[in-house]
Amino acid sequence: MYFRILAKDHVSTFVEGLAHVYEVFAPVKNESGFSFEQVSDGSSIVLDYPMTIIPPKKYFVRSKESLFRYDTHSGDVVESELEVTPRVLFGVHACDINALLMTDKVFLGDYEDPYYKARREHTLIVGVSCMPVLTCMCDTWGTGEVQQGCDLFLTDLGDRYFVTCHSVEGAHVLDTFADTHEATAEDTKALEEHLRAFREAFSRPVDATSLQLLFDAKYNDELWEEIGEACLSCGACSAVCPTCYCFDVNDELDADGNAGARVRCWDSCMNSQFAEVAGGHDFRPTRASRVRYRFYHKFWSYPARYGKTLCVGCGRCDVACKVNINPRRIIGALQEGARS
Amino acid sequence: MKKTHVPVDSSQAYRELRQNPYRPWPARITSITKLTDTETLFELRIIDHKVREQFNFNAGQFMELSIFGVGEAPISISSAPSKKGFIELCVRNAGSVTGALHKMRCGDIVGLRGPFGRGFPFEDMKGHDVLMVAGGLGIAPLKSLINHIHDERHEFGKVTILLGARNPSEILFRQQFDMWRHRDDFNLIMTVDTPDETWDGEVGLVTKLFDQIEVDPAKTVGVICGPPVMYRYAIDEMRKKKLPVDRIYLSFERRMKCGIGICNHCGIGHKYACIDGPVFNYWEAMNLQEAM
Repeated sequence: MYFRILAKDHVSTFVEGLAHVYEVFAPVKNESGFSFEQVSDGSSIVLDYPMTIIPPKKYFVRSKESLFRYDTHSGDVVESELEVTPRVLFGVHACDINALLMTDKVFLGDYEDPYYKARREHTLIVGVSCMPVLTCMCDTWGTGEVQQGCDLFLTDLGDRYFVTCHSVEGAHVLDTFADTHEATAEDTKALEEHLRAFREAFSRPVDATSLQLLFDAKYNDELWEEIGEACLSCGACSAVCPTCYCFDVNDELDADGNAGARVRCWDSCMNSQFAEVAGGHDFRPTRASRVRYRFYHKFWSYPARYGKTLCVGCGRCDVACKVNINPRRIIGALQEGARS
Repeated sequence: MKKTHVPVDSSQAYRELRQNPYRPWPARITSITKLTDTETLFELRIIDHKVREQFNFNAGQFMELSIFGVGEAPISISSAPSKKGFIELCVRNAGSVTGALHKMRCGDIVGLRGPFGRGFPFEDMKGHDVLMVAGGLGIAPLKSLINHIHDERHEFGKVTILLGARNPSEILFRQQFDMWRHRDDFNLIMTVDTPDETWDGEVGLVTKLFDQIEVDPAKTVGVICGPPVMYRYAIDEMRKKKLPVDRIYLSFERRMKCGIGICNHCGIGHKYACIDGPVFNYWEAMNLQEAM
C-alpha cells in the first residue's frame, strides 16, 4: 500500500485543487446538522463530523431521477444519455463506504443499473476516519474500517492525516494536488494509537451471535406486534439509511401530453401499499408486517443472498426514529432469551 | 470541467448487450379479444424486427408492460413460446396501467421489457404427468404452459387441468376450454362457485375436483396458480395425493416494478419474484417467509 502524510493545514489546498477538475462534495455544517454539499472553498468543509443526516448514497441512488424521456405516440426514447460529471466525495466515513459496497451488490448484479454504474465509475471517494458517537455500532459489523470501496482514506492523527491510497487514481490526485510527505515510524506509531483509541471508544457492544437463526426462528414473535404498534410508518429510517435502496417508478407526462419521462424515486418498505398488487391484495397490510420485513431484509434476507448483514451500524436510523425503533433494540430483544 | 456522456440506451447496445434494462421496446397492439367484463387478451408485436426475431421466453415468465405517460405493470405471458413474432398478454382491468391499456385500440403503441424471471421448468417436466390447478386470473400464465405442452404433447404423460372461477362469465378462454372438455389428450375439469343457467359443469371450489382425479405421485408434476388464498388449499390436496414438495410448482403474483431484482417491491423472504420467480417449487416457497 502507498502511504503518505497530509498535514491538516494542507487539506484546503488539496480540496481546491481537486475542485478544478472534479465536482467536490464534502461534509459542511448547516442549521440541522451536517450534510454533503458541493464545495469549492476548502475552508468550508468539516472533516471531524459525527454523521451526516443523509448518507452519500444520494449521489448514486438519486432521491428522484428521470430514467429516460419518451415520445408518447411512437414510444421512442428521445433522450438517451446520462450526463455524469467526474466527482469526488471528500470525507466519507468507513461505514458509508462499506454501505456503498453493499448497494453495489444489488445495482451491479446480474442486471447492471446503468445510472448507478456510471455514477460509481465517475466518482472518486476520499474516506476519513472518525470516532464513534453513542449511536454507532460499526464495531458489531466490522464496518468501521475500509478494505476496499474508496480511492483514498485519511486517518486522523491529530495535526495530520495518515493517507492510505487504495487506487491508482487516488494516488494520482494526491500526488498532483496535495502537498504530502512520506510516513515515518513515528506516524505509524501514531496510527496505532489512533486505532487503539477508536477500538476503545465503543462502549455499547451488540451481541450479533446466531442472529440470522434467531430472526428466522422468531418470525412470529410478539415483539413484531409491539414494534408495529409503535412504528409511525414515516419512512425516516429508510431515507437516512445508507443501505436502503428501494425505489418506485412512475411516469410523468408533459403538459402537452406528447412526451413524458419515466421517473424513479426513493421508496420505503415502511410505506403502506409497498407490497400491494393490482386488485388490492396487500402482502404486508399491517405496520407490524412492514417493520418486520425491513429488519428481516437487513438481518436475514440480504445476508442469505449476499452473505453480509445489510447494516453498517451508522446509527442514523437510531437518531431519526421518533419512537426508538433501531437495530440495537431489535437485536437486543431477539437475543434476550438466548442470553445466560 | 470535462463532462462525460455515458450512453445508457444506445439502441444497438440495448439490443445486443441489454445495456439499459429499464428501457422498453415499442410494440404495437395487433389484436384485442375481450374475454370477460374485466379481462382482455392483447396480442402485441415488438416493432423492431431484430429485437422481435431474437425474442424468446419460457412459459411462466413475465413482461413489463408500459403505457407511455401512465406507467408500467408486470404481466405474465399467455402465449406459447412457439408462437413467434407475437406476445399475448391476458390483462385484468385492475389498475392505472391496465385501465389505460383497456382503452387502447388495435394499432396503438405500448412498451415492452422482458422477458423476466424464472418460468416453469418445461424440459424437466417432460416425461411426467402434469396436474395443473388454476383459479381466476391464475390461468393466464398457465395458458402459456398449456399451449407449450400442447405443441409437444407426445413428450408428456397424462395432462389434467382443474380450473376454477367465481362464476361462468368469469372463466377466461372459456370458448376454447369448452371445446377442450371433449378432448381425450387433456383432462380438463372446470368448476364455478356460483353457477348460472348456461352452466352444466361442476359447482364448488377447485380443490373439490381432486376427488375426481387419479394421480400417480411417482411421475406427476403439480402446477398451481391462482389468487393468494388458493395456494394453501391446493397444495394440501396435492400433498394428500403424495406429490413430493419439490415437484409442486407455484407461480406467485407480486408487484415487480423494476423486473431485475433491484427495487425490492416483489421481495418474498430473501428471494425476488422477478428474478428468482415468479415460479417457485413448494420446497423453496416453504422456506420463504410471506410466500403464502
